[in-house]
Amino acid sequence: MLNVEEALRYLGVRGPVPDGLRGQAEDVAAQLTARITPRFVYRVFPLLREGERLSLSGTGIVLPGRTAGTLLAQCDQAVLLACTLGSGFDAMLRAEQARDMARAVLLDACGSAWVESGCDAAEAQLQRRLPGRYRTDRFSPGYGDLPLQVQPQVCAALDAGRRLGLSVTESLLLNPAKSVTAVIGLSDTPQRARIRGCAYCSMRESCTLRKGGNHCGS
Amino acid sequence: MEAEFWKNGILLLDGAMGTVLQQKGLPPGGQPELLNRSAPEWIASVSREYALAGSQVVYANTFGANRRKLAHTGHSVQEIVTAGVTLAKQAVAGTPARVALDMGPLGELLEPMGSLRFEEAYALFGEMARCGAAAGADLVAIETMTDLYEAKAALLAVKEQTDLPVFVTMSFDEGGRTFTGCTIPSMARTLEGLGADAIGLNCSLGPDQLLPLLRQLCRHTRLPVIAKPNAGLPDPVDGHYHMAPEAFAAALLRGLEAGVTIFGGCCGTSPEYIRRLRAALADKHPVPRRYAGKAFVCTPTRPLRLDGVRVIGERINPTGKKRFQQALLEEDLDYILDVAVQQEDAGADILDVNVGYPGVDEVDMLPRVVRKLQSAVALPLQLDSSNPDALEAGLRVYNGKAAVNSVNGDPEVLARILPIVKKYGASVVGLTLDEHGLPQTARARLDIARRILDAVLSYDIPREDLWIDCLTLTVSAQQSQATETLRAVRAVREELGLATVLGVSNISFGLPNRALITQSFLIQALNMGLTLPILNPNQREMMDAVAAFRVLSGEDRACRDYVERFAGTVSAAPAAAPGAGLELEEAVMRGLRTEAGQLARQALQQGRESELSLVERQLIPALDKVGEGYERGRVFLPQLLSAAQAAQAVFEAVRASLAARGGEPVRKGRLVVATVKGDIHDIGKNIVKTMLENYGYEVIDQGRDVPPEAILETVQARAVRLVGLSALMTTTLPAMEETIRLLHSLPEPPVIWVGGAVVTPEHARRMGADYYAGDARASVEIARKVLG
Repeated sequence: MLNVEEALRYLGVRGPVPDGLRGQAEDVAAQLTARITPRFVYRVFPLLREGERLSLSGTGIVLPGRTAGTLLAQCDQAVLLACTLGSGFDAMLRAEQARDMARAVLLDACGSAWVESGCDAAEAQLQRRLPGRYRTDRFSPGYGDLPLQVQPQVCAALDAGRRLGLSVTESLLLNPAKSVTAVIGLSDTPQRARIRGCAYCSMRESCTLRKGGNHCGS
Repeated sequence: MEAEFWKNGILLLDGAMGTVLQQKGLPPGGQPELLNRSAPEWIASVSREYALAGSQVVYANTFGANRRKLAHTGHSVQEIVTAGVTLAKQAVAGTPARVALDMGPLGELLEPMGSLRFEEAYALFGEMARCGAAAGADLVAIETMTDLYEAKAALLAVKEQTDLPVFVTMSFDEGGRTFTGCTIPSMARTLEGLGADAIGLNCSLGPDQLLPLLRQLCRHTRLPVIAKPNAGLPDPVDGHYHMAPEAFAAALLRGLEAGVTIFGGCCGTSPEYIRRLRAALADKHPVPRRYAGKAFVCTPTRPLRLDGVRVIGERINPTGKKRFQQALLEEDLDYILDVAVQQEDAGADILDVNVGYPGVDEVDMLPRVVRKLQSAVALPLQLDSSNPDALEAGLRVYNGKAAVNSVNGDPEVLARILPIVKKYGASVVGLTLDEHGLPQTARARLDIARRILDAVLSYDIPREDLWIDCLTLTVSAQQSQATETLRAVRAVREELGLATVLGVSNISFGLPNRALITQSFLIQALNMGLTLPILNPNQREMMDAVAAFRVLSGEDRACRDYVERFAGTVSAAPAAAPGAGLELEEAVMRGLRTEAGQLARQALQQGRESELSLVERQLIPALDKVGEGYERGRVFLPQLLSAAQAAQAVFEAVRASLAARGGEPVRKGRLVVATVKGDIHDIGKNIVKTMLENYGYEVIDQGRDVPPEAILETVQARAVRLVGLSALMTTTLPAMEETIRLLHSLPEPPVIWVGGAVVTPEHARRMGADYYAGDARASVEIARKVLG
């Protein structure tokens, strides 16, 4: 389900939402979900620990820093996940920008909410496939001190180019636009939710609140 | 070597390279093509095993050996490609196997999805193709493509820079689309038109999932069809492929019945799979296919079979349209896109694109307009020009199968244009006139149509790609010609069976109530067999007539489209007058685009307001009120933009009014906006642009991923005093800083403001920007301060 409230929050809508605006957002959301389904791939890797150094077996990926260290402290495996709305969304957004910029910004925000729900769907599938395993919060390259620089390796390990049509630009942007990669730790013991809001939020790169050190308090 | 070895009988390709290397124990990681130098014996052994297993074509290990992917490896394309092809040739020595230069996707998306230009992609593939040919490859295999545009760049490069045969395979999902939304008919017709020797599907699916897609592909092409699937679908948890060789071969064999003649394997397959395939195919023969070529044009996402009435929108044409002429001269491509979008929304199926006007360089402008339109409009285009260089430039960058408007019976014109039509696989409109003019009788026009058809066939252009235009003359000037045109349409339909084109609007020129004459003529022409009317789709009467005709002809099954079009509409109810109590200011504030435009037109026509006072006294104050609400958090971004767009409608009325009487446009000052080098997402910049334009500023939008030098050049060439830069990622802030530094090297640097996701006021200060804007509204205030 696309969370329209979440989409409106991305647009900075606070307090009571004007009826017209909500109606428009719901309309855009319905059009989006009818046309585009998020796609995802994931793979489970053994987590290797050499002292402080965490890496994913068979990939050459090292997960440096405190964020990964803390989140994966009790984990013996980690899932790499990639989810995207594909270039179809980008085409839809370009077409909407040529028609109606107001609807386009709604579509953009709905796209962010929709790719997040794609990640949720991937996690739900993971839960079914791996009963008895506990998942950490998912966190993405660029979150906390997990460097953006691992982005190309994450995509390579998932073969995300072939399997999702995902590419990473030289400036480490994911393309298509509404794409997310993430790491999720797996453990035999229950994992505490450590992250609120921002880590799950694909707007975090462009969030005015986060820039000011705040979050939207969802 | 046996000529055209791919055409007769069954051909066996190879399987995966990476899978086999991993099975052999080569550790993963790094770029696989570098193994051509670091572990040549591994690579050669795999190729050798495939040749011994029965592969008649072995792909060299060159899939990603392009300049972009090799950039930071210290190896050149020539070195790696030459090594790859040479290794494969040595490995298959003594067997009948041939060696293909393998070319996969470049790893970066092309425009408009990414920022790689078509010409750059062409150059990257061209380099590989030349090196591969020089190293002795027997053919080129372009594979795993998901973007038809990238496949086109690769195919053109191979065709223009080598003499090798070329196979093209693309990757589709189970729904029959690639990641970029390309359909199978679009792929098939486009690549066949561009001269591929065999086409097919590889990767992404197993043989079972691929089968229905192969059947579909075989129905849409005359070319030999290739199937190179994965060994089933990968296990989602560990990523491995589990389909066994015998099951793989058995499943793939069913492709033979669909008409596939070229077989191989992709991810997860090994020489054992090929051995099984060879055994399964040993006593088999190709199954003949029946392919009836149907008239067709497309974009990747919009395949359009011309098996009924299809409307060609005529509005992208400067003839007699002052506002359009002005847009062309000012290179205002957004306006042209807007005209296209309106026609798409009104139900056009194809858009005619004519940008010929004195003072406009068509060779430069036509491809630019094609790119602009294809960035946001899904409809196929018909490129309308008499300039062969402009047509070639436009066809080259067109994504899909286009149409060309036009040739005629003049042998010189045919000789000039048809080779271009052939090369790019376009459809072409033939006008039934020649060097002696337009014949007055239907018979004589049919004769010219026949001559054009003969010429088309002599260039090996498929018959169905010719559409005939019997030409409409103005009935008030040459009354007897209306029926002659209609007769000619019927004759072309009945005797030649070709699609027919007719620009119907001309018929009523000079008469009152033009719409009635045009609509009547349209209906008669449709009845005579007109299939491709060129008209103004924004005129309801015309589209209504087409909708009704489609019902009566049986094309609109169960009247579905007709009912959808008219359900809920009350016939003959007069539209509510927009002026009913609504003021312009309120219309703008509420974001009522249509109403705001109408009110502005009324005010101007009635002479109640001058253009300038309308803008200054009504429009800007209304926008300011909305802007204040936004700042206070009572109005939100979509509403702010709705108001801005209503303002745009007012500005459009102002521009039209000024253009009509030859006045100077209202312009408050010129500025540049751009998203800096490395940044490809630009909705934030576009929001700023929308706002500024609707305050009357002349915005030069340089787009996204813009190099500092390009911005400098524009600032100098067009005397720009204000520049707005946007950056989205921390990784692109240095590019922003570099742009500012470069602009500051000018003797009189422009004022610079910055904004965008990651930019903070501190960044702005440190980088030496003059202003920081937290949002679009703040950008407007900055423009006011600087430009007034």
